[in-house]
Amino acid sequence: MGRVSGEAIRSVLILVVGVALQASPKPVLAQAQTAAANRAFDLEQAGRLRDAIAAWRQVIATGLTGQGVLGLERVFAQLAQDDSVLPTLDSLLVQTPADKILRAVQLRVLRSLGRERDARAAFDEWLKLAPHDPVPYREYAGQLLADGRAAAADTVLQQASASLGSTKALTIEVAELRAALGLWAAAAAAWRDAMTTEEYLEQTVVYSLQAAPIAQRDSVRAVLRASPAASSKKVLGTLELQWGAARDGWRAIAALTAADSAFDTWNDFAQEAERQGAWLAARDAFAAMNRLRPAPSTALRAASSAISGGEPVSALELIASARSQLQPTAIRTQVLPLQIRALTQLGRAAEAEALVARDSAMLDAGTRRAYARQIAWGWIRAGQVEKARASLAGASGDDEDEVSAWIALYDGDLAKARAGLRHPTETTAEIVTAMALLSRTKADSSRAAGAAFLALARGDSAQAATRFERAADELPDAAPLLLALAARVQSARHQDAPAIAIWRRILTQYATAPEAAESDLEWARTLRRKGDVAGAVDHLEHLILTYPQSALVPQARRELEAVRMGNAQ
Amino acid sequence: MRNVLRPVLALFTLCTLLFASPLTAQHLLVPMDDAQQNHLKAYGLAFFALKAGDRAEWFLNYRGGSFLLPDDPALRRKAALDGVTVVPVDDGAVAAARKEIAAGNMDAITLEKAPHIAIYAPAKSPPWDDAVTLALRYAGIEYTQIWDDEILKSDLSKFDWIHLHHEDFTGQENKLHLGFRDAPWFIEQRDNDLTAAQRNGYSNIPALKKAVAGRLHDFVEKGGFLFAMCGATETLELAMAAQNVDIAGPFFDGTPMDPDADAKMDWVRAFAFQNAHLEMSPGVNAMSDIDGHQVNVPTRRQPLGQFTLFNFSAKFDPVASMLVQNHRQVIPDFYGVTTSFSKAVLKSGDVILATEDGAPWVKYLHGDYGKGSWTYLGGHDPEDPQHNIGALPTDLSLHPNSPGYRLILNNVLFPAAKKKPLKT
Repeated sequence: MGRVSGEAIRSVLILVVGVALQASPKPVLAQAQTAAANRAFDLEQAGRLRDAIAAWRQVIATGLTGQGVLGLERVFAQLAQDDSVLPTLDSLLVQTPADKILRAVQLRVLRSLGRERDARAAFDEWLKLAPHDPVPYREYAGQLLADGRAAAADTVLQQASASLGSTKALTIEVAELRAALGLWAAAAAAWRDAMTTEEYLEQTVVYSLQAAPIAQRDSVRAVLRASPAASSKKVLGTLELQWGAARDGWRAIAALTAADSAFDTWNDFAQEAERQGAWLAARDAFAAMNRLRPAPSTALRAASSAISGGEPVSALELIASARSQLQPTAIRTQVLPLQIRALTQLGRAAEAEALVARDSAMLDAGTRRAYARQIAWGWIRAGQVEKARASLAGASGDDEDEVSAWIALYDGDLAKARAGLRHPTETTAEIVTAMALLSRTKADSSRAAGAAFLALARGDSAQAATRFERAADELPDAAPLLLALAARVQSARHQDAPAIAIWRRILTQYATAPEAAESDLEWARTLRRKGDVAGAVDHLEHLILTYPQSALVPQARRELEAVRMGNAQ
Repeated sequence: MRNVLRPVLALFTLCTLLFASPLTAQHLLVPMDDAQQNHLKAYGLAFFALKAGDRAEWFLNYRGGSFLLPDDPALRRKAALDGVTVVPVDDGAVAAARKEIAAGNMDAITLEKAPHIAIYAPAKSPPWDDAVTLALRYAGIEYTQIWDDEILKSDLSKFDWIHLHHEDFTGQENKLHLGFRDAPWFIEQRDNDLTAAQRNGYSNIPALKKAVAGRLHDFVEKGGFLFAMCGATETLELAMAAQNVDIAGPFFDGTPMDPDADAKMDWVRAFAFQNAHLEMSPGVNAMSDIDGHQVNVPTRRQPLGQFTLFNFSAKFDPVASMLVQNHRQVIPDFYGVTTSFSKAVLKSGDVILATEDGAPWVKYLHGDYGKGSWTYLGGHDPEDPQHNIGALPTDLSLHPNSPGYRLILNNVLFPAAKKKPLKT
């Protein structure tokens, strides 16, 4: 390295000093600007608006024009003196005519004052100063859209397209415009393009597209599905969830990878699905999260959703994966309740009973009673009423217990069932059906009716239908009701012929029973489903004309209308 | 199985009908006041009676504009199926009603034949509903759908009544290109119209629609009844008055509007309006200053209020009375491409049927032209005040007592009335 000459050193020193002299006022100025802005903001927050106006003017004087003008705009708006900011704006625009903040405020204020022509003139003036800048178009079109003036915004964007050569720099505004105009497929396409560069837009896109009417949603789906981008999949997943199609939503985001921040997306989706009661979609999302980052809490949440969704088999698999990672206490408090729910739902009461027995010493009396009730239901589902009774008796001697009442019903002891189900803890379809029978018949016992309800509880619908029909012979005072139940079960099994035979029997033998109108309606629906329009019309007309006082008449009229109009079911 | 059951059901139904109501009644009174469960289908019941060759009477201003029909099992059956309230009455009760009618501002009008109705609508439905089509379908009133080819080539005199709704007779497709020019339905609609124009020997859509407007003008002049709603009212008038001037923007015929179009309009040819001013800007979604509400021009849009039906003397103004029969006098307003009609542009002979108190516009108009007559009702759908493009059609089974839809159906039955010297 050569020797540095004295002149060179002096030059460097001069330069350094010079830089120091130049730089030294900047922190001072910055401090002054910050202090002025803080003071103005504090005054504004304190509601001292008049003082805040002076303070924001001070901020402008320090050189922070943008911040100062925005402050003035806010304060004057609160004082309903929006136009008072205009003189300040005009003088500042003389100095910096193309300042984007000042121009945007000017447009906003003029619009809020309803001075549309002036706003348009201000926009045109801004364009003259920045003819190739997309910002003026973005600002003005955005403001027009915010006002709901889609057609005017469209004109501005067309102008942008002509002047700039394209609207690439205005994709967000174009997307918002298309949504505002109800061009949903085009809006989806524009949003999809916008998200390729601006991923943060996902929530905005969901907000915009979720308003698409039902008839237009398929076009939105098609656009988003066609995109390989993760952002499009995420948006589609959330949209489907909002539109009530949670399983489709899950399918949209299931293929995301770790690189696409899949875990967070799935987590958000699962929680929302859980909140909506879309249990199986929630189960799928939690299970996928568990595969990506195994955690017992996630697996158990997936299991819980699976049970609530009526798929206990998958719950047991998830429980097994979580169980191996947990301590005994956690297993007892978190895993065991889910296992009992899943096993009893499957009718595997013996296994549930064994699990409870193993931990019995560690369980309090209340928990044991609750498990006993669940196990009793498990036995019922397995068709073992005696074991259900034994399970219940072991934990509770209360004859009035609701589960005991159900067991009594299955035994055919209608009197005991009637007493126990008088005040049900919840109103389910099963309770309503049972109460309908118990209040309809004066009989105190019926083996056939009990067997029918038991078959229904076991999920043996074929047996249930046969036994309800048989019970009709045993309980003549409730025969139409029992026949209607049998027909309902057959219809649910898509066994139309036996269902129709039962409805015919009700209409001919029990024409004045309340179930006769229901039989007509259900028969009509079945015929309509099968394409027999004339038959459906016959039954709907029969219902309306024969049972004019029935509560089903308005529904029958609506369906008759739909059949005549040729609306598909 | 169904074939076996049908006779049983029919027999059962007949027995029910025979034994459910008095057998001594000679007439069925269809009340149209608040006792009526389904006002809209009641018009269908009256039409059904006329179609079957029965005579009916319309009791103007009596219980909301009731109908008197002959007692007939088929009518009773239809009334029961449709949920229409009917009251079996004997000759004594009818005589009492007639006495009451004679003493008050009421009259009994004979309805003698089911009118032949045509609705001007494209074969492929656009993404908006047509209130008249909805009303007729719901009430079960038969109609024939016609479009440009039928208007231009067929004999319109076979129809008693033609309805127009949302169509733009200036040929500018309601200026929807401003917001929907890329929408597939808009492109298809424009292409179809262009094809129809070329098929009929016209170079563009405005020329085609002017010709259609001319035929409709002749239809009324020769004695037809015309009912129009929404944008068809304003644009038909403009098209008729602009037979010799270009009022269409360049998007549709390739040439700008005639800058002197306003001055060249021949309002003598128009039915209802005069001296209206055209909207000269092709970028503004309005046609003229006929519409008082200007819903598609945000800076001009007026808020919705409610309109009041006028009362007329049933004995001296039976036509106007028929058109305003209703169980409500004040009805919430509803937007359309044309919502209302500025008072400033009305011709002196126009009969105002409904107006908004204090507003510079009217809602419902009627008038005679040549041997025929026309009725205009502003707005698009009485039960959907802001009907948007793409919105589902209104389900009228949810609005069986709609007073707004009743106005439409009044027009449908009005041509069924037996001709007698009209004072209006």
